[in-house]
Amino acid sequence: MPVDKDVMIEAIDVNKEYRRAGAIIRALIDVNVSIKSGDFIIVQGPTGCGKSTLLNVLSGLDLPDSGKVILDGENIARSKEDRLAKIRRQKVGMVFQEFNLIPTLTALENVESALWPTVLSSKEIENRAIASLRDVNMLERKDHYPSQMSGGEKQRVALARAIVVKPRVIFGDEVTGNLDPEAEKDVMELLAKINKDYETTMVIVTHRETVSKYGDRIIKMADGRIVK
Amino acid sequence: MFSIFTLLYTILIFSTSFSIHLLSTNDKGTFGRFALYFLCISFGFSLFLSVLYALLIVTKNRRTWAILKCIGWTNSNINSLITGIVLYTTLIGFIVVVEILLHYAAIMIYLQSAGVSVGFEPILIQLLPVVLSFLVFLFVQLFAIFLANRKVLKVRPMLALKKPGE
Repeated sequence: MPVDKDVMIEAIDVNKEYRRAGAIIRALIDVNVSIKSGDFIIVQGPTGCGKSTLLNVLSGLDLPDSGKVILDGENIARSKEDRLAKIRRQKVGMVFQEFNLIPTLTALENVESALWPTVLSSKEIENRAIASLRDVNMLERKDHYPSQMSGGEKQRVALARAIVVKPRVIFGDEVTGNLDPEAEKDVMELLAKINKDYETTMVIVTHRETVSKYGDRIIKMADGRIVK
Repeated sequence: MFSIFTLLYTILIFSTSFSIHLLSTNDKGTFGRFALYFLCISFGFSLFLSVLYALLIVTKNRRTWAILKCIGWTNSNINSLITGIVLYTTLIGFIVVVEILLHYAAIMIYLQSAGVSVGFEPILIQLLPVVLSFLVFLFVQLFAIFLANRKVLKVRPMLALKKPGE
């Protein structure tokens, strides 16, 4: 089957079940989705509809029970853990609701940490981390620890850590979930700018309606299925 | 955690070195008679502490390992980091013991040369027992590192997506 080079991520007949307290929960049911390179996708739906599971599966954090997940031309649905880690390092940036910065590292070190396992020299790593912090307007806070930053600032540092690897796609799970409206606007505008400047594909999972306007396509989910 | 375990390692490397020294010099004094017991106890404790330290490093930092996996660290990258932390702690313990013994020897030699009596026959531990103790500790760390590496494999990157404490 020919691969459409324009397609960055494709999920084909993806199913995923969880066991919780003895019950089987069908988190994804025959999900089919195709995301083109440079798209800004917002995934919305009520709590428990499977949108975070979809993000986990598309980003290679979790494997589907059945179906295919093709990320940048490679089927990752049956990849080994180390292969998935390398794909995430080379092609994927992750941004989380809880920021997930390492508290004992400064902003600069947190950004650099994404590049430490690479073959780049320490000078090159530092230069790239500084450039990423500049992109998110956090360079002046590079020596600050996460505990010295506001929620919006932490999320911008997390965003710098995501873009420092020059990813093809950025996955965000409720990236504005812990932010006030002002910080939400800042972070979403930054994501839109990165999407436009670097043509980085964005897949943002959210339950907030206010975030919808930033996406050029909205995927609505309910009960493990894509409904719109 | 690092400071506490460095201190414990220092005490254990010292007690192991002291026991090896007493055994090698065939000391028949109060300490000398129990040297073999000291050595066995020190070895047992070092094994226990090393395993405990390695497991604590993995379990206390599970979220950190999950975050690192999310941003592209492989299991072997994380294992290298944990190995480095464990070996660094051991090395610092060894350096502290050497440092203390050197200062102790220097003070004793100075007091003797100045004709000051300390009221007991000072025992000067030679470098070889300390190096031997360090090698024993390194060997014990290998076992602990192996266990830690097995445990890291079980940390799933998705853990980073959960709220802390969830």
